[in-house]
Amino acid sequence: MLSEIVIIVIRGVAIGALFSIIAMSFNIVHNATKILNFAQGNVFILGGFAAYFLANQAGVGMWLAMLIVTSFGIAVLVAAQGWLTLLPLTDTNEQNSWLISTVSVSVIISALLLLLYGPFSYTVQGPIPSFRVMGIKTPGAFVLAIAAAIFWYVALRLFLRRSFIGLAISALSQDMDAARAAGLPVQRLQLLAFAISGAIAGSVGFMVAPVISVSPDAGLRYVLNGFIAAVVGGIGNNTGALIGGPLVGVMAMLTAYKVGGAYQDLASLIVLVTILMFWPQGLFGRAAARKV
Amino acid sequence: MSQAANTIDIAPDHKQTGKFNSDRMQLTLGIALIVATGIGPSLLGNSYWEHTFQLVNIYIAVAVLQNFLFVDAGQKSFGQGAIVGLGAYGLAIASGVHGWPLIIGALVGVLAAGAGGLLFALPALRVQGFHLGFATLSAAIVFPQLLIQFDGLTQGINGISLYIPALTEPLAMSLSPLTILVTLVPIAALLLHYTIRNARLGRRMRIAAESAEAARSLGINSGFMRSLAFIIVALGTGVCGALYVPTVGFISPQGFIIELSFIFFFAVVVGGRGQLLGPIVGIWVVYILPNVLLVQLVEYRLLVNGALTLAVVILFPDGLVGTVEAWRRKRNQRGGGEEGFSLRPFTDTLMKRPEQPIDANAAPIIDVEGVTKRFGSVVALDGVNMQVRPGEVHGLVGANGSGKTSLLNVISGFSRADAGSYSLAGRNVTRAAPVSIARMGLGRTFQTPRIFPDFSVWDNIRIGLDAREAPLDAEEQALVERLRTSYEEDSPRMMSHGQRRLLEVVRVSLAAPRVVLFDEPAAGLSPSEREEFAKLVRQLSRRMGMAVILVEHDLDLVWGIADRITVLETGKVVASDTPQVLADDPAVQHLFVGGAHA
Repeated sequence: MLSEIVIIVIRGVAIGALFSIIAMSFNIVHNATKILNFAQGNVFILGGFAAYFLANQAGVGMWLAMLIVTSFGIAVLVAAQGWLTLLPLTDTNEQNSWLISTVSVSVIISALLLLLYGPFSYTVQGPIPSFRVMGIKTPGAFVLAIAAAIFWYVALRLFLRRSFIGLAISALSQDMDAARAAGLPVQRLQLLAFAISGAIAGSVGFMVAPVISVSPDAGLRYVLNGFIAAVVGGIGNNTGALIGGPLVGVMAMLTAYKVGGAYQDLASLIVLVTILMFWPQGLFGRAAARKV
Repeated sequence: MSQAANTIDIAPDHKQTGKFNSDRMQLTLGIALIVATGIGPSLLGNSYWEHTFQLVNIYIAVAVLQNFLFVDAGQKSFGQGAIVGLGAYGLAIASGVHGWPLIIGALVGVLAAGAGGLLFALPALRVQGFHLGFATLSAAIVFPQLLIQFDGLTQGINGISLYIPALTEPLAMSLSPLTILVTLVPIAALLLHYTIRNARLGRRMRIAAESAEAARSLGINSGFMRSLAFIIVALGTGVCGALYVPTVGFISPQGFIIELSFIFFFAVVVGGRGQLLGPIVGIWVVYILPNVLLVQLVEYRLLVNGALTLAVVILFPDGLVGTVEAWRRKRNQRGGGEEGFSLRPFTDTLMKRPEQPIDANAAPIIDVEGVTKRFGSVVALDGVNMQVRPGEVHGLVGANGSGKTSLLNVISGFSRADAGSYSLAGRNVTRAAPVSIARMGLGRTFQTPRIFPDFSVWDNIRIGLDAREAPLDAEEQALVERLRTSYEEDSPRMMSHGQRRLLEVVRVSLAAPRVVLFDEPAAGLSPSEREEFAKLVRQLSRRMGMAVILVEHDLDLVWGIADRITVLETGKVVASDTPQVLADDPAVQHLFVGGAHA
């Protein structure tokens, strides 16, 4: 009984930390552009594939080097995606095209992975061995997941509040026109936000590859759960995301253990619909000033 | 084209070169294409194409409905494949597994699809846009999992077979009932789309989709409109799902994975969002091309469709049909230039009404008492009192940031007062929603006019009439008819900013509200337009009995037409009286500094 609770909490919090991270990678792009990147889940999985091909069973030094390479590589890729996504938005009649273009990119990434590597799930071995918590075997990547969530939360907070560039990105979220009028290079800041979101999702996908399903069709589930974590926490709110992720994760594990693993996605859908109906601003959301 | 002296010359001499939109033509062409592909192969005895187009035409019907949902209702759904699946499984389980009569089975299918639509419709009451995108995506992922999981009901991965020989036996000329049905269903979907789009419901849905503020000010409940659209589309998609079963003969969870939902979504985008013909061309390109004509490339189809959709969004955002339509529209676009839109016909009609005296002792229709509004630490309104009597023109003046727009927003319900009370026509509406305030007879315009570029000028006016409750009298009827014939093929894209303002003024006036709020209406008007506007305001008040609240920086205009003026300064009322009294009030003098007022 107790061990069951321990399993649920550990797994839930660790997997939930991943949802938090995807939610935070949503938030930085959303705050800078009002765009939610539907491809973020596949970007995350791309990190997992990078781990398989670049650093499977590698030593710590090699693993770290490849982590940095992957983060930069995926950051550049997502910045390029961001550039494409922002292209049509200069036309005021095309303000909703991002939804279509990010979904297309999501489909393209998973179709490419499917064509290149088949419909298989790849097993990756990371540098941190598993250990025991109260007699229960726990993968080392769980520690990485939680550490990464905290690392990115603190790093983003410092960056967005202390650095000049981070403050400029925060300014975009408050008033795009004012930021433009104040002479901020809006588009470059937005591309930077895309790049950072890619670095976040890609690096963590790389780090936790041993505990996620590294397969072409896994991205959608991560993007959905990341979105639910973002909605629970209030979209744009990283503190909310940090709390929302583990909440969603523990809920998913609870469903898996009590009802069955096949119902996890159903439980997520029910949580999403419920939250949208009763707390559309999220549990920790912030009120946006009304615009007329 | 000269007109008799006593008639009103609205829009002189603009050359008629084409229709504002080609919906009618696209509808006809669409029906012709569906009929040709639906029954053509059977008549020619080609069973391969017969079968292919049976499925294609079902997909087209689903895509047509998705197109309506996407553009007319503004909702992006990634879950329509799951709704098709619900319709199919409803019929297959009821009739295929339990042997119920087909008609009952079809009904079960449609209702199951409707229930699925309700799952999307409920959150749509509260949220929109990407939120619903994720909810529908999530449903599309969960649906096949549930089909496998509840195998007692659905026979899991083994699927359900259901052959209905009676439907495939040819009736006459080698046409089977099934062929006829799958030809009629996409036609019905197209007609439904066309009919709703051109009805009051469709216009109001479109407004709800494009401008939440305009919708609220016209008394439209956006959440309700979104939910209604999801349910209408789900029921129609359920019919398609039920037809899918006899067409394919066998269904399994593998047939309703998320890829199916993406096909419909991509088809709408590639074909041309909002174009009636779009989904037809879209399904041909997205489905027939890779699955039939390039079979050896079939494993690349997701990649190809994804890349194609991305390319369309970036290079030809209007899609295939939309690009042609945009080109046609550009060539034919007409507007009347400077004379393209004026208030003259409107003021001339109102002139024929008798003048009604204002009852100085009438109870105020707007009664604002001690209203305070804070934004964080900023106090935008600080204990404001204001009364407006029926039929009164009430000016609201003050420097930028003095709280004029904040007060308008409280009066129209767009923002809620933190303290104080506000009653409209004797009813306390301090906490009422903007939609109910609008329905009680309060209309408003916006600093940036809410003009819908995909509507003709006439339809932009007409949405005011759509919100109207009072019947039109004969004079007004004639005016409306004249506005229709003059503007039904004109595009608002050609109008100047001032003309857009006037258009919005005509729209809100035709809705016949009891109180109308004009937010800086004179900005961008030419001197003659300004004069005409002043005349209209007097007429609305004197001849229509409307109370008018006018926020305006042009003090000449305000002093010329207002019965009373309230002066705001940093959120407080510093003076409120007749223009004559205020002109000598020292508290107001500084407003005129630098102006031409002595």
